[in-house]
Amino acid sequence: MSAIADAPAAIKKNYLTALKEALFEEMERNPNMLCQGEDIGILGGAFGVTEGLQAKYGEARVVDMPISEACIVGSAVGMALNGKTVMAEMQFMDFISCGFDQIVNMMATYHYRTAGEVNIPVVVRGPAGAYGGGALYHSQMNEAWFCNSPGLRVVCPSTPSDAKGLLKAALRDGNPCVFFEIKELYRKREIEEVLPEGDYIVPLGKAAIRRTGTDITFVSYGQNVYHCLAAADELQKHGVSAEVIDIRSLVPLDEETIFTSLAKTNRLIVVNEAPMTCGFAGEIVSRVSEKAFDLLDAPPVRITRLDTPVPWSKPLELFVLPSVEKIVNAALKTVRF
Amino acid sequence: MSQSTGAATAEKAHVVIEPNLASRPQDLLTPEDRLEIFRQLYLARYFDVRLIKEKRRGKLRGTLYSSHNQEAVLVGSLFGLKPNDWISPIHRDMPAFFLKDMRGGWRRSDRMGMSIEEVCAQVWGKIDSPGRARDNWSHIGSRAKHIIHSTSMLAGTIPVAAGVVYADRLDGGDAVALTFNGEGSTAQGIFHEAINYAAVRKLPMVTIIENNQWAYGTPVHLEVPTADVADRARGFGIPGFIADGQDVFDVYDKVMQAIEYARSGQGPSIVECKTFRAYGHGDHDDDRANKYRSPEEVEHGRARDPIAVCRKRLIELGILTGEEASLYQAEGKNAVEATDEDFPKEVVQYLNEGIDFALASDIPSAEEGAMWVFKENA
Repeated sequence: MSAIADAPAAIKKNYLTALKEALFEEMERNPNMLCQGEDIGILGGAFGVTEGLQAKYGEARVVDMPISEACIVGSAVGMALNGKTVMAEMQFMDFISCGFDQIVNMMATYHYRTAGEVNIPVVVRGPAGAYGGGALYHSQMNEAWFCNSPGLRVVCPSTPSDAKGLLKAALRDGNPCVFFEIKELYRKREIEEVLPEGDYIVPLGKAAIRRTGTDITFVSYGQNVYHCLAAADELQKHGVSAEVIDIRSLVPLDEETIFTSLAKTNRLIVVNEAPMTCGFAGEIVSRVSEKAFDLLDAPPVRITRLDTPVPWSKPLELFVLPSVEKIVNAALKTVRF
Repeated sequence: MSQSTGAATAEKAHVVIEPNLASRPQDLLTPEDRLEIFRQLYLARYFDVRLIKEKRRGKLRGTLYSSHNQEAVLVGSLFGLKPNDWISPIHRDMPAFFLKDMRGGWRRSDRMGMSIEEVCAQVWGKIDSPGRARDNWSHIGSRAKHIIHSTSMLAGTIPVAAGVVYADRLDGGDAVALTFNGEGSTAQGIFHEAINYAAVRKLPMVTIIENNQWAYGTPVHLEVPTADVADRARGFGIPGFIADGQDVFDVYDKVMQAIEYARSGQGPSIVECKTFRAYGHGDHDDDRANKYRSPEEVEHGRARDPIAVCRKRLIELGILTGEEASLYQAEGKNAVEATDEDFPKEVVQYLNEGIDFALASDIPSAEEGAMWVFKENA
């Protein structure tokens, strides 16, 4: 029998499985890597991202931690100081505020403070995002806090293959990283895909064009990418051709891909589910305004969460968040400007 | 029944304050060791005295956090460490950077501590500082020398120290981490998170609490509800030792017990060293400290100068005799009163060499301000 006949049929996998594969592969590849977090070992993680990891790699390398987010981060920094690579899980990214000082003052600054003597390969990752009725403390997208703290990579994948490739890249980057996973995408059937074979890496700082178009550019990340794609479908009916860019990593940011698209479309809408004020949508608009002002034929638009917490009740939640309808309406207005 | 068991466990966990005299670690110190400890006290004091003078002459930037009257805590806790052990000093512990692994010779090239040149280059903000003057004063460290870099968030280094020794144990090492904090930072959440974690995992970490009675402008009884800060240990089921922070040999005794407890795999502990802050929180606070603390309190807190306590002990032991016993009288003197003649010549010379090096070193070029935000990958 030929090798080809023996090969299993290509199986589509979900976003969560992709993350899990990344962790297993990196733990296998790097004996100096550890994973730690709340309930990640015995239980296998609140969502199951680390399921089976402790059984394979042992309690010493897959560590169940007390409910102590600051200590989860701080001890990971210490391990990194002593030669380890660490994945530190936040059970929900909402809880990352409990570890804030250790992230922004201890971890983010270590390389800078030591003039390069020390680098901290720690990836703080966990589930984030709204649209699932998680309410105020299981829905946040607080990525802007970390983009505003020099020294951190900030990453947010939207597809299974990116989830795998970006997590592997982040674990090898050598810099501390805050890695936002979208829990609403963890088991979403519609986005399952066949993962690329082999040691698959998606470099940090490279955007992906999810759909090409000529009239308007949507820049987004995380689950809002799918809102943008649905809006682009809808706009097609109005004769409007939208390009959708998934930036994938916020720090570093691939400005080139955005500017190249704007050179073609001359219109920009940035969509994210974080609150508007001082959010990353504003950062993208600022950079375009400063560096590519001549490319714009209409005022750039931000479609974000309102400046509110994320409420629990479904109509309330949807009211404050970006939606396909909001994007379509803003796009029609922008192309007619 | 279960109640009495619990009480017994707590009692056992709280290690006795007075160790068995027959087995005191200090009894194994040689006369040479004790003289070296005495010299190191002088060195720590001279470093402080000299920097206060330099600061007043307008030669230094930033804030000086004096370790005057607290030198026995540093010297006594560091003296028994193995070279590979890790430390995390905080703002008032500047001498710890050069005192680490000093026992076998101040100028040894393989010493796992900083040279006086590196420390002075940092104080003077020069490019030869281990951190190239990117953060101020005590915010330096060295991975190579096993010194953890602190931030201004004080107890924030404790989880880092715990992680360091977790990794070391994973690799089969036997290093202990010695973290330093004041009594005030035992009120921080991260203090409790980190020691809880270290206790759960039985990590080889010793947390020194320099209880100098004042956290900036707040007295200890407004920071800690228990009579002794060491009582914090009870909640974690770990030993809480109490040392006389003015007696370098008592500090050595208690810390060595804690270190052996840690190194043998029994887990972390707390060592409270009772001492007193001689001046203000920083030099900017000296004047106000004279108002929020009474002269009587300060006089009482400084009555037992660690150098004098050590000298008395060395005389009792017959190690210092005759004329030698009264040479150099730095104790009890404020920085402005003390002169170079009050210190051993080798102490003055050692620091002078460090300062000369620092003065000759360059300041960093401005562009370095934007460097090393990230590790650049090829």
